[in-house]
Amino acid sequence: MFQAVSENNHKQFFKEVIQAARLWPIWMRLGLQDIRMRYRRSSLGFSWIFINLAIFILSVGIIYSYLFGQNLKEFLPFLTIGLVTWNYITSSIVEGGNAFVSSEGYIKQIGIPIYVYLFRFFVAITITMLVSLPAFLVIALIYSVPFQLGVMWVLPGLLLLAVVSFLLIVIFSLLNARFRDVGHISSVALQVLFFITPVIWPPEMLSKHRLGFVVDFNPCYHLLELVRHPLLTSHSASTLNYLVVMLLIAMLLLVALLLSVRYSKRVVYLL
Amino acid sequence: MARISLKNVDVAFAVDAYMTRSLKTTLSQFLRPRRRAPQVIHALQSVSFEIHDGERVGIIGPNGAGKTTLLKVLAGIYFPEGGEISTHGHICPLFEFATGFEMEANGWDNIRTRALLLGMGAKEIEHKIDEIGQFTNLGEFLNIPVRCYSSGMLLRLAFATSTAVDPEILLLDEVMAAGDAAFIEQARKRMNDLMDRASIVVFATHSLNTLPSFCGRTIWLDHGKVMLDGLTAEVVSAYEAAVADKNRPSIDLAAASDG
Repeated sequence: MFQAVSENNHKQFFKEVIQAARLWPIWMRLGLQDIRMRYRRSSLGFSWIFINLAIFILSVGIIYSYLFGQNLKEFLPFLTIGLVTWNYITSSIVEGGNAFVSSEGYIKQIGIPIYVYLFRFFVAITITMLVSLPAFLVIALIYSVPFQLGVMWVLPGLLLLAVVSFLLIVIFSLLNARFRDVGHISSVALQVLFFITPVIWPPEMLSKHRLGFVVDFNPCYHLLELVRHPLLTSHSASTLNYLVVMLLIAMLLLVALLLSVRYSKRVVYLL
Repeated sequence: MARISLKNVDVAFAVDAYMTRSLKTTLSQFLRPRRRAPQVIHALQSVSFEIHDGERVGIIGPNGAGKTTLLKVLAGIYFPEGGEISTHGHICPLFEFATGFEMEANGWDNIRTRALLLGMGAKEIEHKIDEIGQFTNLGEFLNIPVRCYSSGMLLRLAFATSTAVDPEILLLDEVMAAGDAAFIEQARKRMNDLMDRASIVVFATHSLNTLPSFCGRTIWLDHGKVMLDGLTAEVVSAYEAAVADKNRPSIDLAAASDG
């Protein structure tokens, strides 16, 4: 194994990200194309995003609301927005983690900054999430969730969530290029995480059993709350939620920096 | 002014990086460290040269000499392990003409995507797209997905788009043209026009007889080292002499595989 002798410090990471960001016409086009291609030859097209969600919400929603003795009126909106947010995190890791591996042909032939391909996947994943958000509005209208001005708190929440998503894409694409097993490990880990994170069950359920710490120490819970709480209650999420997410972002940034210093120039050799 | 400068550039491929690294092997290496000499292929060894505005430079050498690696270093695809490289001017590598093509998208969409990837701006694309479409000679077919194209049609589309750039530094790897006879003639002309527009052209090739008509200077690479760098006629004859010398004891095997 060899080390890149050429200078490669922390500033390099930001420089590469900014260089790639400037090439937005390229990654915007590729990202949008990726979404269009995914649904191109299916007769239902984009509707699949909703159908997917609808089937899951209806089946899980109805069964779990009985199981946990939840009121559908409260449970379904909670479940919908939780799932949309959770799917966003999952696809950042699973799909986004493939950004470099599946862009191999581009990386080896076209000499543009490789972070362009991270933005490409970020665009595709983020737009898919934004397209599925209206599903929540439909459910919210059906069950007449009251909206007030405080619902705007969802915007900073979404912004922080997008930052997390981008950092996850950076981290997992670099890791995946180096260790091809990471993709498999992370999908198993995400499955486990899905069940210990309050997505399909309300967080209060565990605190009743003095297991509240499982929720409190789970950064995914705090991340979900940033989007879920404002949309359901029209109030900002708790200060603790914001603090934990800030801390999470700082840690992810640190990991992304370390990995990119070590691997970003070697990605082309690792593919 | 376009310029390329390489100083003692080294590129090495670690063979184990090419074998897919799994966590298992890394973990077992971590738990039971074994010192093993990593197997390294030196693709380029202390390569130095400068290319100035207006130069046309050919790169020759046997297979595996490092020609493509050198071009990819110039293109910013491979980062050298050691040495310095500095380039001024917009670099346009044309290695595979069809990189970035999406089979489900139609001809026009693919022209736009490919042109963006080559570094053209939105205005430039709108300005050139009609001419590109015309050169492909595909007419109505440009409106259907390229997965329905024949390989010849795909080649026309890729070639027409890729050769529409206005590069300062143009990097070419073994210029190939296929298709019907009329297209080859058109393609040759278009390729020459492209090379005339560029301030610097560097191209790797195996066809020694066409070389003198393209470029005044040639660099001969072997085993990642610069063997000779100078006037095309001199370098080519030295290279041919070396190849002939190598072949004398055995029969013309190397020359055949070189073609």
